[in-house]
Amino acid sequence: MSSIIEPATGSGAGPSASGGERPVGAATAAPRGALRRPVEMNRNIDVSGLVDAEGGLLDRSVFTDEQVYRQELRRVFAPSWLFLAHTDQFHKPGDFFTTYMGEDPVIVTMDRNRRIRAYLNSCRHRGARVCRADSGATRNFTCTYHGWSFDLEGKLVSVPNKGGYPESFDTKDWGLVEVPHVESYRGLIFGTWNPEPVALREYLGDMAWYMDAMLDHDDEGTVVVGGVHKWVLEGNWKLAAEQFATDWYHVNMSHTSALTVLAPSGKPKAEIVHRTGRQYTDPNGHGAGFPVHPRNRFDAQTVHKWMDYDALRERLGEARVEGPLTNGHATVFPNFSYLPVNGSIRIWHPKGPDRMEVWAWTIVDASMPPEVREAQRLYNLRTFGPSGIFEQDDGENWSECQAIAHGFITNSVPLNYQMGLGSEREDGRHPGTTSELYSDAAGRGFYRHWRELMNTPAWHEENR
Amino acid sequence: MSSGIRVASLDDIPEGEGIAIDKSVTGTADDIALLRDEDGSVWALDDTCTHEDASLADGWVEGGYVECPLHSSKFCLKSGEVQNLPATKNACPHRVEVRDGEVYLFPNEAP
Ligand code: FES
Ligand code: FES
Ligand SMILES: [Fe+2]
Repeated sequence: MSSIIEPATGSGAGPSASGGERPVGAATAAPRGALRRPVEMNRNIDVSGLVDAEGGLLDRSVFTDEQVYRQELRRVFAPSWLFLAHTDQFHKPGDFFTTYMGEDPVIVTMDRNRRIRAYLNSCRHRGARVCRADSGATRNFTCTYHGWSFDLEGKLVSVPNKGGYPESFDTKDWGLVEVPHVESYRGLIFGTWNPEPVALREYLGDMAWYMDAMLDHDDEGTVVVGGVHKWVLEGNWKLAAEQFATDWYHVNMSHTSALTVLAPSGKPKAEIVHRTGRQYTDPNGHGAGFPVHPRNRFDAQTVHKWMDYDALRERLGEARVEGPLTNGHATVFPNFSYLPVNGSIRIWHPKGPDRMEVWAWTIVDASMPPEVREAQRLYNLRTFGPSGIFEQDDGENWSECQAIAHGFITNSVPLNYQMGLGSEREDGRHPGTTSELYSDAAGRGFYRHWRELMNTPAWHEENR
Repeated sequence: MSSGIRVASLDDIPEGEGIAIDKSVTGTADDIALLRDEDGSVWALDDTCTHEDASLADGWVEGGYVECPLHSSKFCLKSGEVQNLPATKNACPHRVEVRDGEVYLFPNEAP
């Protein structure tokens, strides 16, 4: 496998999240004895009839059906690269952050060799979490139930009353289950349970060009300001993920009041209301949309003034500076999204078909002086923080859609994703395939990839 | 008694942390943990936790106590007295002296 070693950001010696000699497929290496899970427990359904990506139609059950949801955990989340954390959250061995991959709780930590690793946060004894803090620093992960203790390398290092176990009991068999692949791209750490994934960089493909508009302003990269905001929303996780991939369409309608508040005259300028731009759609389901405009600003004045646009043009090229650098929305499939102008990065954790948890970070350029960082932090908080004037509108929409989606008739009426149908093309300015700013192209791409994964047996089904 | 064994420089031990001195150096039954409190003072206890087999030198040193890195039993730095379960036995303390930035250990002498 390939790996990307990060340049140091923010601290002296930078953490690295790279491949290495970690046990591959540790999850399947666990002693099973006579256990065999009956296949009927994981019966899969063919979702071909639920997604018409070519015709731009979607069956609403993909947001509500329990069986679809369970299959998503197995076939969409388990094999995909999932966002874990930012490298700036790890500076010393033992620094850790707990999060989820799908519904699986994981600990992300820096081991003694300063490598970023991730483990299933579930004790191998009776399954309690071995780390119950959100983040911090530790030497070991000790289960609070009976006291099994695991070191930063995931090894089981202490078992109270060990003499009570049979001779065949070997602590080597009972280490934490490790996420077999953890890699990072410009400070963003991703992991996957897939024992043989394509490299993260390859998975991102042309999407990386668009991501760089937020992550690669200069050699120093990005750092995190403040903590991680977390909130719960009624709504299927895909409602948020698809919107961030494909939906500039809602901006003028849903965010009218917010745009009005932000406009100095109390009336949004025509050039803001009538934006044109492009929307990128990726074969792996990623998507990004952005207005295209030479002075395409939407952010805090302090940040705007600090940015050196000539240097950025030099580094990233005009197409990026006038497009995805200054504004827009994006999703890395399946559930990581970001807003480049705000430095808002977030993950939509699935919590059953009807609920999601939003976890959001604010990132800034490491090179920003304190007052610019603070301006960016406040700007993001006011617009897209948990109570941000835009964020509130978006959450309201998703919850509104979900709240009624279980009605029998309601649920059986198809939804429309036909805007920009057939408009996808190579535009010669932006890499990959793009469509119009107002388009459902990336949404169709998102569900096309989702359908493909849902209908493909995952690694854990093949090896049984 | 002797003038002690020079076992470390003060700078070797970050405040709030500890280092283990091998029993081949100390001549004791167990390794000895040198533990530096946040106020800068240095203390010594038998390194192996009296509960299971954690190294107290890997523990958290704070406010006159060291907390075991495995199951969080705390021991008084000065007396070795155990403060909370799961450990039930006290740790054995040893006397330490710091002179000119060097740490001298007096194994088996009470602090
Ligand atoms: S569940 Fe973790 S030690 Fe028993
Ligand atoms: S080993 Fe120290 S408290 Fe258990
Ligand atoms: Fe929005």
